[in-house]
Amino acid sequence: MVEKGRARIHRIRLLVLSGAFLLILGNPFLNFYLQINFVQGWYQSFGIGNLWFVSPLEGLESLLVAKQIFLPTLMGMLIPICLAALLGSVYCSWLCPISFFHELLDFLRKKVTGRKFLKDRLILPRRILWYVLIGEILLSLVLAAPVFVFLSPPGLVGREIMIAVFFHTLALEGVIVLLVLVMNLVTRRFFCRYFCPLGATLNVIGAKRKMRVIQDKEICTDCGMCDHSCPLGLTPSMGMAESVYCWNCGECTTVCKPGALEYHWVRKGDAGSVKESLPTAPSSSDPHQ
Amino acid sequence: MSFAGGIGNEAPLKRREFVKIMAGALSATILLPAAARALSFSKSPVATNRLRPPGAVPEEIFAGKCIRCGRCVEVCPYRSITLLDVRAGVFAGTPIIAAEEIPCYLCMKCVEVCPTGTLLKIRQEETRMGIAIVNKHICYTWQSLTICRTCFDVCPYKEKAITLDQLRPVVVEDQCVGCGICTHACPVSSEDGKKAVNIEPIHAWERVQW
Repeated sequence: MVEKGRARIHRIRLLVLSGAFLLILGNPFLNFYLQINFVQGWYQSFGIGNLWFVSPLEGLESLLVAKQIFLPTLMGMLIPICLAALLGSVYCSWLCPISFFHELLDFLRKKVTGRKFLKDRLILPRRILWYVLIGEILLSLVLAAPVFVFLSPPGLVGREIMIAVFFHTLALEGVIVLLVLVMNLVTRRFFCRYFCPLGATLNVIGAKRKMRVIQDKEICTDCGMCDHSCPLGLTPSMGMAESVYCWNCGECTTVCKPGALEYHWVRKGDAGSVKESLPTAPSSSDPHQ
Repeated sequence: MSFAGGIGNEAPLKRREFVKIMAGALSATILLPAAARALSFSKSPVATNRLRPPGAVPEEIFAGKCIRCGRCVEVCPYRSITLLDVRAGVFAGTPIIAAEEIPCYLCMKCVEVCPTGTLLKIRQEETRMGIAIVNKHICYTWQSLTICRTCFDVCPYKEKAITLDQLRPVVVEDQCVGCGICTHACPVSSEDGKKAVNIEPIHAWERVQW
């Protein structure tokens, strides 16, 4: 029962990813052919009626570069920031269209090569992520034009779909998306791991996140399946699922046969108190063995 | 520069010189075109008949404020607003209106959805996308070739923004919203593709009060 429940996390995540992608895929068609303007935009800024979402990094860049406070931008950033502060960078693993393409590519790769996990061929120090974030913000300030907003792969996916539907052409900068996807074949989630400033922002916001994958050392059998399964190349067996880099995709909880890795809702922000924390896996199945 | 000849004590000096020259040449070949490209990289795409949507902030901060979410393009019912691509440099992904192709019909839907205040919420008559300028040298009416008043007829602020002076069109500068409907309708085209009445986006070059 428990295993079934955990396998469900993987399936739910793929469903959510596909749904999030279908939303930005179908929305331009609704806007263009049926003139239904209720939903607009993609994950740079998304408007559902009067409920607006603004991507935290893009909003921050816009506010910093323009040096003007604009309240709707801040309000739009509120929900994504709260989400990231509580659940970590779930946007990256559960919603991002690039993640959707990555999963699709992984699926095809498994079909073609028959190998379940890909060995990461190019490994860089993880702290590059922070340098990229700082460098990106500094570069935006120097150029007085935000850099990430027109070169961000997740934003580009949405923009390319919209341009294809509205103007029946494609923009040149879509090459960046292809590049990101090709790098995924060298090292899984290469761009997400080392170069995504948005991911870095969400990681910073979610550094003290409430929902964490916590390892129960007493149950763990050191099989190492979680280390193989982690798309970011983290080692949950050594507790790295609690680090800032983890994006809470839940892949390790899916493959963990003994059930040592579970989503936990951390109460006091201290990761050590595993026993006191309440397990609240999205599968809501019985957490006990 | 005979590099192969350097033997003995002279070799390190020569090598250093060689490295210096090569480094200079390399940086020149990389930096000079880069500087030239950087100039066009940050050149605004706004020009005659190339307008920002209503309520746009000055070009000085437009690229900085706009987060390229494309929501203004999606809500535009006339498909007036199009997106620029990476050839516009840092302005890639910003919205623009080609007035002679599809002008702005001032439905004011785009200003409602902009999440960053790049398009400020303004009323229709407050819109200042530019100013229509009648080119008297090619306008048929001003040239006394015929009596055409197409621009006057299509103007949404008829008698206010465009008036007739002895049946010749005259633009009232402080009333013109710069929507470009007159440009779109004008039957006269000069060789460079411009019409007899064009929109000059002069408001886009205003300075920002910090």
